[in-house]
Formats: sequence, C-alpha cells, structure tokens
Amino acid sequence: MDRTKPRLIGRGDLLAALDRAVAKKVTIISAPAGSGKTSLLRAWADRPGQPYRLAVMQVQRDQHDAQQFWLALLSAVRQASAPTSRTEPPAATPDFNGRAMVDRVLSELADLRGLLILVIDDLHELISPDALAQLTRLLTNLPGDAHAVLATRRDLPLHLQQLRLAGELAEIRAADLRFSERETRELLDASGVALSDAGAALLHQRTEGWAAGLRLAVISLAGHPDPELFVAEFSGSDRTVAEYLIAEMLERQPDDIKDLLLRTSVLDRVNGELADLLTGRQGSERILLALEDANAFVVSLDPERTWFRYHHLFADLLRLELRRALPAEVPGLHRRAADWLIQHGHIADAIRHTQAAGDWPGAARLLADHSFSLTMDGQAQTVRALLRAFPPGAPADNPELALIRAGLNLARGRLDEAAAHLAVAESHAETTPPDRQRRLRVAIASLKLSLATRRGHLASVTEQAKFLDSPVTGQSDEDIALDNDLRAVALMNLGTVEASLALADAERHLREGAVLARENGRPYLEVRCLAQLAFASRVRPFATTRRRCQEAIALAERHGWGLEPWIAPALITLAANLVWTGEFGEGERWLQRTERALQTDTGPDIRLLVHIVSGMLQAGRGRRHEALREFSAAEHLGSQLADSHALASQVTGWLLATQARVGLPGEARASLAALDDERAGSGEVGNARAVICLAEGDPAAALATVTDVLGGAAPVIGYVTLVETYLLAGLAHRELGDQRAAHQAAERALGLAEPDRLVLPFVMTGSGELLEALPRHETAHAALLADVRDVMRGSSLAAKDQSSSPPAEELSPTELRVLGYLPTNLSRPEIASELSLSVNTVNTHVRNIYAKLHARDRSSAVQRARELRLLSAGLTR
Amino acid sequence: MRVHLPALDHGFMDPAPVQYTIRIHGHLGATVLSAFPALVPQHHGADTVLTGLLDRSALYGVLAEVEALGLELVEIRQLMPEGRSPESGDSRSP
Repeated sequence: MDRTKPRLIGRGDLLAALDRAVAKKVTIISAPAGSGKTSLLRAWADRPGQPYRLAVMQVQRDQHDAQQFWLALLSAVRQASAPTSRTEPPAATPDFNGRAMVDRVLSELADLRGLLILVIDDLHELISPDALAQLTRLLTNLPGDAHAVLATRRDLPLHLQQLRLAGELAEIRAADLRFSERETRELLDASGVALSDAGAALLHQRTEGWAAGLRLAVISLAGHPDPELFVAEFSGSDRTVAEYLIAEMLERQPDDIKDLLLRTSVLDRVNGELADLLTGRQGSERILLALEDANAFVVSLDPERTWFRYHHLFADLLRLELRRALPAEVPGLHRRAADWLIQHGHIADAIRHTQAAGDWPGAARLLADHSFSLTMDGQAQTVRALLRAFPPGAPADNPELALIRAGLNLARGRLDEAAAHLAVAESHAETTPPDRQRRLRVAIASLKLSLATRRGHLASVTEQAKFLDSPVTGQSDEDIALDNDLRAVALMNLGTVEASLALADAERHLREGAVLARENGRPYLEVRCLAQLAFASRVRPFATTRRRCQEAIALAERHGWGLEPWIAPALITLAANLVWTGEFGEGERWLQRTERALQTDTGPDIRLLVHIVSGMLQAGRGRRHEALREFSAAEHLGSQLADSHALASQVTGWLLATQARVGLPGEARASLAALDDERAGSGEVGNARAVICLAEGDPAAALATVTDVLGGAAPVIGYVTLVETYLLAGLAHRELGDQRAAHQAAERALGLAEPDRLVLPFVMTGSGELLEALPRHETAHAALLADVRDVMRGSSLAAKDQSSSPPAEELSPTELRVLGYLPTNLSRPEIASELSLSVNTVNTHVRNIYAKLHARDRSSAVQRARELRLLSAGLTR
Repeated sequence: MRVHLPALDHGFMDPAPVQYTIRIHGHLGATVLSAFPALVPQHHGADTVLTGLLDRSALYGVLAEVEALGLELVEIRQLMPEGRSPESGDSRSP
C-alpha cells in the first residue's frame, strides 16, 4: 500500500512501548473510542523494516457470530503463514464446534516456524460470550512462537490471570496513548498547521491529548485562515470535543463531500458505486480516495482501495447528524442500499438495511427466503441476530418468521420449541401471499422432516418426504436453488432414519442426497450424506463398507471436518468393521477418534453405536465385565429412541449372552423372560438363549434353540448372527459328545465368515477348543483359522502396513491359492494334494511367492502376506 | 469503568424502570443529544446531565452509546421516586 503523503506522525516512544510489550505473550491495548489504537497498530505494522510476521484481523461491527469471527481469524493466520498460496478459505458449517476450531487454530500456529503475532482489532465488537471464552483458551495456550495483540475499547471478560501471574501480559491504556504536548506540536507541524506554542498548548489542553480530537482539529486547522482564533473559540466552548470539531469539519467541506459523508454514514462499508447510488451523483470514488489520503477517518479495506469504511466514532456522529438534518431521507437511503446489497449477494447486510428502513414485511420476506442458505453457510448466529431485531409482535403471527425460529431451535436440539413454532407457522400459513405459499409449504415439510428425524419417527419421516415426489418447479433460479437445498436435506434426513432402521431405500436416498448436495455446492450436506451412507452400508461386503467409510472421511478431512460430530457415523462404522475382522488395535484407534468427534453431545442414536462397538472390542479382548457394561449402556440408550432401532436385538442378545458368560445365567434368564415377543423371537436373542443354556449345563436345550434359528424360524439382522449360531451349535454338539457334528458346524461357521474374514464371532463365543479340535486335513479355511488362532492367542492382526513396500509383482491366482495354505502346517505334498497339483509345481509357486514377497522362509512369507492382506484374496469367490 | 455486556448479565429481572441521572462532561449539542431520545438534558456548569426513566437494558444501552460517541462519563445516579438519590452508605453526600 503506497501512500504518497505522510499520514500519521511517527510516535516513536509509543511504537517502542509496543515493541517492548509484544515481547510478552499477550498485549492488550484498552482505550476508549478515538484514542488512536488502530492508528498505532497500523503505524507499527507498516513501518519499514518491521521484523514481525503479522496476522491481522479486525472484528466486524456487532459480531454475534462466533463462527464468522473464528473463520476470519483462521484466514488471517493462514494469510500470514502462506501469503502467496490461494487455498480455499476455511468453510463455514451449520454445526459449529468452537472447541475444535480453537484446536485447529492452535495446531496451525504450532506448525509455523518463527515468530507470528496475531493482531485482533476492535475486539469489543465481538458480542458472543462463547467466542470470548474460546479466545481465552487460545490466548492461554498459544504455542511457543505465537504472540497476540488485542485492541479494544473496554476491558473484556477474558480471564487471563494465568498470563498475568506469569508476567506474560502487557497492557497499553488510554493514558499511554494520549498525545503529549510535544507530539501535538509534531502533528501540527506535519500537517502544515502554523500555530504558536501557546495555541498548541491550548489545543492539547482542550482535547486532553485525545487522538481523535486532535486529528479532527487538524483537518479543520489545515488551510484555516486564522488557526489561533479557531483554537481560542474551540477552547472557549463547552461543547464536547468530538461534536464541536465534527460540526466544524463538516461546515468546511464542499457540499458534495458533506452530502456524501452524511448519506453514506448509514453503511458499514462503502464503495464508489454505492456512494453514487446514495448521493445520486457520480465520482464518489475519487472523493473517498481523497478523504483517505487526507487522513479524514476514512480507511480502505482492500489493497485495490475499492471498499472503504469510516472510523466508527466518526460514522456514529455522522449518522446522528444525518438523522437530525435529513430525517426524511433516511429510510430511502437504507432501502436503496438494501437493493444494491441484495443484487451483489450481501444478504445479511441487505436485511439489516431493510429493517433499518422500517420495512418489516420486506425484511421478513428476505430473511425467510435466505435463512436456509445463510444457515447452510454457517451463519445461523447471524440469522438469530436478525430475527431478534424484529419488533416483538412481528414474528408471533408471521408464519415465515415462525418457521425460521423453528429451524434455529431445531439446530440446537430444542425439539419441543421447534415443534411449537412449526405449529404456529402451519396455522398461519394462509396469511402468506399466494405467490409465496408453495415455498412456505415446502419449507414446512422440510422442517417437519428434520424434526421427525431427530425423534426417530419413521412414519412421520416417510409422510413428510412425500413432497420429494413432486417435481422441482421453481419460478425463479432462487426458488430452484432453495428447492434443491431442501431436497438434499430431506433426502439426507430420510436416508438417515431409514439407515437406522436398516431399510433398503436408505442407500439410494443418501446417494441421491450426496449427488444433489455436490451439484448445489453444499459440501457440508454432501459429507453428511456420505457419512450416513457409510453407516447404511454395513450390510454390504465389508470391503465395500470400508471403502465408503474411507471416502466419506477423506472428503470430510479435505474440508477440515475430520473431527466433527457429523462424520461420526462413518468413523464408528469403520471402527466396527475393523473389530469384526479382528483388527482390534486399528479398530480401537477409530473408536477413540469417534469419541473425540462426539464431544458435543449428539443424541442417543450415535452414542449407542459407540457403546456397541466398545462392547465388541472388550469382548474381543476377553474383558467380559467391561463388555457387559458397554452393552448395558447401549441397551439403556436404545430404549430412548422412538422406533426400535435396527441393532436392538443384537444389543439385547449380546447383553444377555455376556451376562451368562460372566457367571450370571440366572439374571440373564430373568431378563430374557421380560422381553417382548418380537425381541425374544429374534435370532440374536435365540443365540443368547443358547449361551444361557450352555452356561447352565444344558447343551441339549441349547442345541434345540440354535436348530430353530438355523431352520429360519427366527429373523436375523445379518449373516454374522448365523456365524455365531453355527459356533454355538458346534459347542453344544461337543458337549453332547458328537464330534463329527461339532466339526461340521465349525466348518459351516468358517465358511460363512470367510468372505469378509470375520474373526470376532469366534472369539466372542469362546470357540477356541472347538477350532483346535478340527482335523487339519479337513479344513478348507486354513487361512481364516490361522487368523482366528492368532487373535485368540492375543496377537491382534497387523493393520495394513503402509510404510512397507508393495511386492515387486502381483501374485497369480494359483500362487494366491498356494499362499492360502502357507499359514497352515500342511507340508508341500499335502498342499499339492489339496490343490490337485504336482509337488514340483507347488515348489515353483512357493519359490515365486518368496521372491515376490521378499521373504526368506515360510513364516516371513506368511507375515508379509498378512500385512498386505493377501491371504483372503485367493479365497473369495 | 467496566461495562457489563447485557448478554453476560446474570442478575435477576429488574421489576420496573427507574429514574437515572447521567452526568457527561461537556455540553451536548443537538446531534449527540439525538442519540438519547429518552433522556432530558440539562446543563450543569461545564457538564450535561441527562435524566430519564430507564430499565436495566435501556441503561446499558445508554452507556454503550456514551462509549461509542467517545463521551466522558462523570457520574450515574439512581433517583428515588421523591427525586432524591438512595442512601448508599458511601462517602459522597446526597
């Protein structure tokens, strides 16, 4: 930014004081309006040769929205660390997690090399208690090379005692910022004002060294015919400094400039076009630039100097003067500003101006049309603030505003309040003008759908989703865009509920929703759909599910949402997937990540899944009491859901079975008796009944139960239940002495489990001895068997080792088949006879396998094969 | 002077508006006075005293405006219905 005229005097002492202050972690500059805080920061930042890397941000006026504040801060940090990169600005989301955001900022600061100073100006404009609390956490945890400077008009409730006690807090206050008499003279000299020493002293005394006062005085004094008289009159007046001097200043301006200043004071930010619009004249841009150059409280906001804003104090006084001098003009100015702002996409500002113009119906319409879009863009707090600005009576009868209120309540999980406002919206729907009726009804249906989803009411969800069947017939592009947004949300909600109830349409709806969201540029919705899709895919082959989970998680991470609660369905499904295949270590890591993502409570449905998977993990590791605790918690949460969820019988089944296994068969039986018919008749509970019988020493009864399940009399969630059933049958047969039947049952279980490499059922049912007893020649599932044995012996399967190099060449199908037998203790002739090959052929294959896997012997070949997950590859059909 | 943001105010509901006088240094002109439509101004020496009926929200709104306009606050006083200020037990005489 090149300025030809010297704009600010170099207040050397003050700059030195600031330099000393920033040696400490946090510096607070706290002084009233017009004290010169921003000027000081600017002079300090712009001085040539300044050694610091600065991330500068200014809090927007009346900033209620914590997320907007943090995004601006994050942007500033990124701008400072990589000024040339043109990465996407961080994306806003409807669900804002302040804690995660602070963590993100801290980690980005920690990654930086070298000193960085975060400068936040106008911090008093941050009207969000949450944001202040979050900021406190940031400031007290700044990593080594990061410092902060905060400028504010008043002391804020930032609890920085820690820093103060550690001597890491510096303060610069009003008294420090006051111009001394000497500095006053310097200012006068630099501005070319010829004033005697006595005159300068008088000026200094009258303004008490207040920066804004001095600057205003200088504007009037420059080119004034009689500076001494001016100062004398000023000194003799009792008027407040700012008012007197602004009046003087305005009086001295040519009419067009005065007009521009007054009329554009209604704006927070002004550019040439807007100013022309409001003044009805041309050439405003030139005037604005000149004002900035003259240091008349106008500052540009961008390097190109197209947007400007006035110093807040200056603007406030101008606004008051406008209201006093041209009161009839004010509503029209706001209206014209609103029109321009809408056309240029500044919706929230446009709504504020419409409200300021007193056009409440117009503002209500605008807000109704855009609240959804604003919310999707992460500006829910802004919507809330705009809603609050309506006079108390207005939202009461206005169905569109009531709907917005319902949406805001829903977002916070206040379901009953949301329903109440929804009812108001519906009952007053007819009062909406006819051309807006359809949009209102679609919005109502969409909200009802969201509400029903949170409550788990499938019937309501299906009912509400019917509007999806009607084609998209919008009248305007906006209508269509809004329709598409609502459709995507509706599909997401519908798919979510269907997934939780394991209904077939879930995947189709979620996929449609994801595609629509992507087309509409709504990454938040897209990620949510994909995360739910991953969860809905749990009935698919495990490899498919795993891939979908990873897709959803990768997309989320690309947007920086890797730890947000809405990615949890994908995280927990992946965790479950890994635990099923015996990869306990990896599974546990994903489970822990899910727990971190769910720190902001998200309701019983997702927490239930966390408990189930925890229970599975504990059971897999043989910790039965812990497993029991987890399954009990899951059962308890399940009872809080409206419709019985898809995994309900699984939870009950495992709960009862675990009770029996820890030596409480009596309790288990009692709980069993208390179940309703539907639950009791499920395959999962049937398995549990068998476990109880076995624990009570009645294998015959156990066998009878499992025979029922295997006969198809009991519905099962999926084939994994049957794996357990076969194993329980095997155990029962063994107790009854029928070895052959036991072996057969075990083989059936292995066969079912093999395609997805399930390991967990074997561990949970304690089928170790059953498997050991299998004659080694008679098993076709040697690889899986070996895996199960490994897990039961306590060495959990290695996760795919990403750092290991892939094999030089891929193994051929026959090589893979031979590889499958290597983990067994079959000799090469035995393998050859299994595969109907000659021993020589087998030897050749084995040599190739060793070469390709860079292995020197059988056991290292097996190890490598495990790491690369090659063992099942040859066995899937 | 520390000003509490209304959002952080955890006090109980105040029952009714109360008469306040707010003393500002300097004489307020028409422009600045228009920022305080609910208050009646009076010059007292070099100060301006604004008087009016304010509930708690309105009071803090006035204070915010005082801050925003860079005015110098000298004193705030609550008046009893009879027009006297309450016994406050401090060293200032009523």
